[in-house]
Amino acid sequence: MERDRPVTRRAILAGAPALLGLSRKTDRATTGGFVNDSSPLGHRLRDRTPFTAPKRQVKIPIVIVGGGMAGLGAAWYLDKRGFHDFVLLEMESRTGGNSRWGENEISRFPWAAHYVPVPAKGESLARELFEEIGVLRDGKWDERVLCFAPQERLFIFGRWQEGIEPENATQRDTEQYRRFSDRMNEFRASGEFTIPMDRGAKTTPLDKLSMADWLAHEKFDSPTLRWYLNYACRDDYGALARDTSAWAGIHYFASREPEEKGPLTWPEGNGWIAQRLFERVRRYVSTNSAVYHIARDGSHLRVLTERAEYIADTAIFAAPTFLAEYLIEGAPRAEGFQYSPWLTANLTLDRIPRESGFDPAWDNVIYDSPALGYVNATHMNLATHAEKTVWTFYWSLAEYAPAEARRLLLAKDWGYWKEAILNDLEKAHPDIRQCVPHIDIMRIGHAMIRPAPGFIFSEQRSRWTRAYGNVFFANSDLSGFSIFEEAQYRGVTAAQKALRAIS
Amino acid sequence: MPVALFVSVFLIAACGLIYELIAGTLASYLLGDDVFQFSTIIGCYLFAMGIGSYLSRFLRRGLVTQFISIELMVGLIGGFSSSLLFVAFAYTEAFRLILYAIVILVGTLVGLEIPLLMRILKERFKFSELISQVLTFDYLGALGASLLFPILLVPKLGLVRSALVFGILNAAVAFWSTFLFREQLVRSHTLRAACFVTLGLLGAGTVFANRISSTADNALYADEVIFSRNTHYQHIVLTKWKDDLRLFLNTHLQFSSRDEYRYHEALVHPGLAALPGARRVLVMGGGDGLAIREILKYPSVESITQVELDPEMTRLFSTHPVLSQLNQHALTQPRVHVINDDAFQWLDKNSDFFDFIVADFPDPTNYSIGKLFTTTFYRLAAKHLSAGGLMVIQSTSPLFARQSYWCIVETVRQAGLRAYAYHVYVPSFGEWGYVIASQTPFQTPQQLPSNLRFLSARNVAEMFVFPNDMTPIPAEPNRLNDQILVRYYDREWKEIAR
Repeated sequence: MERDRPVTRRAILAGAPALLGLSRKTDRATTGGFVNDSSPLGHRLRDRTPFTAPKRQVKIPIVIVGGGMAGLGAAWYLDKRGFHDFVLLEMESRTGGNSRWGENEISRFPWAAHYVPVPAKGESLARELFEEIGVLRDGKWDERVLCFAPQERLFIFGRWQEGIEPENATQRDTEQYRRFSDRMNEFRASGEFTIPMDRGAKTTPLDKLSMADWLAHEKFDSPTLRWYLNYACRDDYGALARDTSAWAGIHYFASREPEEKGPLTWPEGNGWIAQRLFERVRRYVSTNSAVYHIARDGSHLRVLTERAEYIADTAIFAAPTFLAEYLIEGAPRAEGFQYSPWLTANLTLDRIPRESGFDPAWDNVIYDSPALGYVNATHMNLATHAEKTVWTFYWSLAEYAPAEARRLLLAKDWGYWKEAILNDLEKAHPDIRQCVPHIDIMRIGHAMIRPAPGFIFSEQRSRWTRAYGNVFFANSDLSGFSIFEEAQYRGVTAAQKALRAIS
Repeated sequence: MPVALFVSVFLIAACGLIYELIAGTLASYLLGDDVFQFSTIIGCYLFAMGIGSYLSRFLRRGLVTQFISIELMVGLIGGFSSSLLFVAFAYTEAFRLILYAIVILVGTLVGLEIPLLMRILKERFKFSELISQVLTFDYLGALGASLLFPILLVPKLGLVRSALVFGILNAAVAFWSTFLFREQLVRSHTLRAACFVTLGLLGAGTVFANRISSTADNALYADEVIFSRNTHYQHIVLTKWKDDLRLFLNTHLQFSSRDEYRYHEALVHPGLAALPGARRVLVMGGGDGLAIREILKYPSVESITQVELDPEMTRLFSTHPVLSQLNQHALTQPRVHVINDDAFQWLDKNSDFFDFIVADFPDPTNYSIGKLFTTTFYRLAAKHLSAGGLMVIQSTSPLFARQSYWCIVETVRQAGLRAYAYHVYVPSFGEWGYVIASQTPFQTPQQLPSNLRFLSARNVAEMFVFPNDMTPIPAEPNRLNDQILVRYYDREWKEIAR
């Protein structure tokens, strides 16, 4: 809906201090800070700082390291198959990993992963879980968790438009969008682009190309289509199209049924799924239990936390695979595993900002912004009217090399990022600074695996899908991209291997 | 010199008449019954002028100063009269009191003007000449004003600005007089300063008149806007022309008092009359209380729950004399419980059962309102229906928005309910549609309350028959995750607007 232009009187009031150079003072004070920083613990591991040796010893057949979706998925599977003799060790105070979430007086909100595309018929594991937690009943998805309309909008040419593909396209743009969609249908029909990827992936030279090179090769040169696909790579993999494997870039489009109306989402994002999983396996979970060392001891493993030492038959390593080098005695470096760092922020809005064009959507993207836009946490409320809300702002810092982006994340203070976020949003919402009393920012140094060209079908990737002694790896990074379904699949697969190993 | 003086007389007279006309027009807009309003206001005004003339004898010294002060007072009070009256109508229950107080005050001050002026001028002119000239220009001014008022002022400026503009003229005459009679003035500076202040206030009033009664609204609506307010949720506008009171929400017409009985009788009675012994009723939306007015015609109904998002709507229609008269004080009846909450959320957290549910929401013009027309909403509402209960849904026009209408019918069916479609002709809306939704078969009632203006048992059955240009056409159901209804509706009403 169109909102009014700025009120003259306010413009005068705001203009006068600007003349005197005092305009900053007219902005509201915004509070907030960095939250959920996990880098201090990570850096202790990297720097091999000594940890306090545990006094307690526990004998247990299976230890799961890491309580993200992969670890929770492994625990869910073990419990479901009637195996109860295991422990899940989580370094944070809560499980969830990339699906962690928060809550304030207005809404719950996600800190990272915030949706799952409607699982296709072949995704049996995901469907099994969704049936169990009541999202899928008699083949029908719960209408309250299928993302409400309107799903997406794009701020371009000074106003919001419906959908994320730019409108007002030239004939060339339109033709290329159609051709791109046709190409994706062909890839989909090939059956090689599946979820989980393990099911259909066949070695192909496509993986050696970058998405940008493939687009050039296929003569896709429409600027808006290029923007859109670059955006998709930044959003899904935290990397620019030129740093993303063409196979992975295509997989995003070719692995989903285009007519499915979704995705599945919740105010707290995938935190909702994580919470349901946690409720099912909480008796196995030990939080604030950072594993700092895993060593072989005869046919057993010694898994060390500061609280207890676990003497286990096997371990399911659901933490990011690059940590193996620091945690597992003798494990090599996970070569080729690159991780995109992310910055996410949750903005409290105590009033809804001005804007013009299409109605507010769930996912709101600003054209030509370095960031990825924001998701509205109250979008899935049944209420027809919201006076306050929470926006989750996503930024994958894809234009930097990962290590450089991580340095930047740590070097700049909260005020710097807060300003960068508000400046970005100001393009679409000129009065955003009057609406936001609070911004919390989370920095994730190794947020998601980056499917760089060549990685998906590399020997480095496939070697980690095999066990290292009695340790089975389970993180979604083994698939080359971080999505819920891959995490669940890797977790369950590792759990199956672990069960076989101890029987 | 004499010309200047008589121009002043002309202007004063014009101003005096304008305030009287404004008061009369406003009263007939807001209260109806123009003959009564105009008669009583003209009577009071002339009587007050008489009081003024009488009082003029008590003013003895400093006549010019007195005259200028009176001009400024007339300018201020008259200038702001219509703004004050609009605000009084919208926010107080003392509208008539304030109306007549203003009329008498302005009349008295205007009554003082001419006698004072004549006494000021009596030294300069022969009495016979003076009285002839002054009265000639007095009547000429009245003629000018009475022609200008309907032709130019009401249509172009609206009542608020017209009054303010004439207030400025009064103050200008005062200012001018400080020069005309400067030799008779002692403290002309003080008076001029007062003139400036008055002119400034009236000027600011004219600039900000938009905020008093939104002349921008006046351009948008055919009739005079008598109430305009941006609440947290919507823009409420009431317009009035003679006996036709209209409510607009975000510029969409909600009812016209001339034919709303057709809409509301058709909304309530086909369903509720088919439920003899219905005790508990839920009304969602429709905070105007007009549906409740109809429901209260059933003595069996023990309790009516009204869920309306906007507290300003229910406040306005509970407390305002004219509006609460229209709904026959429905919202303040002991059987009625008003809840200001979002209907979808309220249904979700509440577990009460109702024999009859009315979903009287605005048309699905956007994705927010569209949520209230979805399979999920109807499924949830159906959980609140008692065994054999019925729900009726306001469903836009099956003629102008045919696919939208049948989309709502399809949505009800997809929600697992039986759907019974019917329509009625409401002159201010055109052909309008409703859907009765139920879990059990529905049969049209054989008997209706006796005191209806429009419906009879015979024409209820006819409403369920659709002429050829409104018969069902294929439509997808409206679901939360695609809201196809909002698209249908947008497309269909755009075609009408073309």
